[in-house]
Amino acid sequence: MSLVFAAETGQVHLTSQTRIVAAVLALFFMLMILELIRRDRLQERYSVIWFIAGLGMLVGAAFPGTLEVVANLMGVRNTNVALFSIVLLLLLGLALNFSVIMSRQAAQITRLAQERAIEKAQRQAAGQPNGNGSSGEQSLQAEKQSFES
Amino acid sequence: MRTLVFIPAWNEEASVLEVIADVRRAIPEADLLVVDDGSTDATAERAREAGALVASLPFNQGLGAALQTGYLYALRNGYEACAHLDADGQHPAEEVARLLAEVTADRADLVIGSRYHAGAVAGSGDYKPTFSRRIGISVFRFFLTLATRQRFTDTTSGMRAANRRVMSLFSRHYSPDFAEIESLQLAVRQGLRVEELPVRMLERAGGSSFLTPLRSAFFIFKGLVVLLVGQFRPRHVEAE
Repeated sequence: MSLVFAAETGQVHLTSQTRIVAAVLALFFMLMILELIRRDRLQERYSVIWFIAGLGMLVGAAFPGTLEVVANLMGVRNTNVALFSIVLLLLLGLALNFSVIMSRQAAQITRLAQERAIEKAQRQAAGQPNGNGSSGEQSLQAEKQSFES
Repeated sequence: MRTLVFIPAWNEEASVLEVIADVRRAIPEADLLVVDDGSTDATAERAREAGALVASLPFNQGLGAALQTGYLYALRNGYEACAHLDADGQHPAEEVARLLAEVTADRADLVIGSRYHAGAVAGSGDYKPTFSRRIGISVFRFFLTLATRQRFTDTTSGMRAANRRVMSLFSRHYSPDFAEIESLQLAVRQGLRVEELPVRMLERAGGSSFLTPLRSAFFIFKGLVVLLVGQFRPRHVEAE
């Protein structure tokens, strides 16, 4: 409902308390990302988007005026609602982006598995030792287990 | 003509030996490849003991990926024709030989063995579909026929024969989730000659079908989405 009548009534602003909390969280968030990269738990190419998100949070906290401009553009009376909507949309886009990346990687993994299977069969066809001795089977079993865990 | 028969198998140690023997008997000139789709039982060992080539995927990837492995192997190793059948003993190998004959005579690029074609003869011990399966079958039949403007009776048949044009196409594009239906749509859209041949199929020797009513409904819904999306895929004329 607030969305419908937004433009007709007065603005609801962020309090300075929320601004401080947001700024602290944003800084903490960016530090966490740095730490993840430092420990090789996150690749740089996937971290850019998170840095942008952290910077956005900082900007929003430091200059609440920008947020109010955006809220006005959206016709939303309550700045907090505008903030939530924007964040929700961004997260939706990000989740979709991850699905795309996941699909690509699934296809790559499948092709890798196929190449390996074909190579083994080709070696078997050529009559060479094809790793179907006990050690080869054991390593295959170990691989299967490590993938499952 | 060099021919490859491949059998996708996932935990089929009970029936794989018999299927291999059947193929040897009916199509003695063909090379035999078992695509082991990450089986956790002795499928791969049994197949190797029986003298078949074995391509083992390191983890279960689904029927589509297993079939694609077979097509890719056939393409890479210069086979002029290939065919595949299920590992559960539902598909008599002499019927596969008839499909292959169509391909080697160059009457079609891709030949599907159909259980439900008007010419298919039913005998005792032959395949009879359950009720929920019959619904799914007619839904897919209707929509695939609509999508391709070609009559198909058995859209989910896993008994097929193909030439190099099809190998080349399927080794590049093969849906991992809805292999059977989407591949037919794809092949027709690429201008390949797809033909159905009535065949006999048997009741499955071991194991039970994975379909429950709810799963069937979901399966049908997913299939329709896949078909719809497939209609918007680009159409290329493939050159080998």
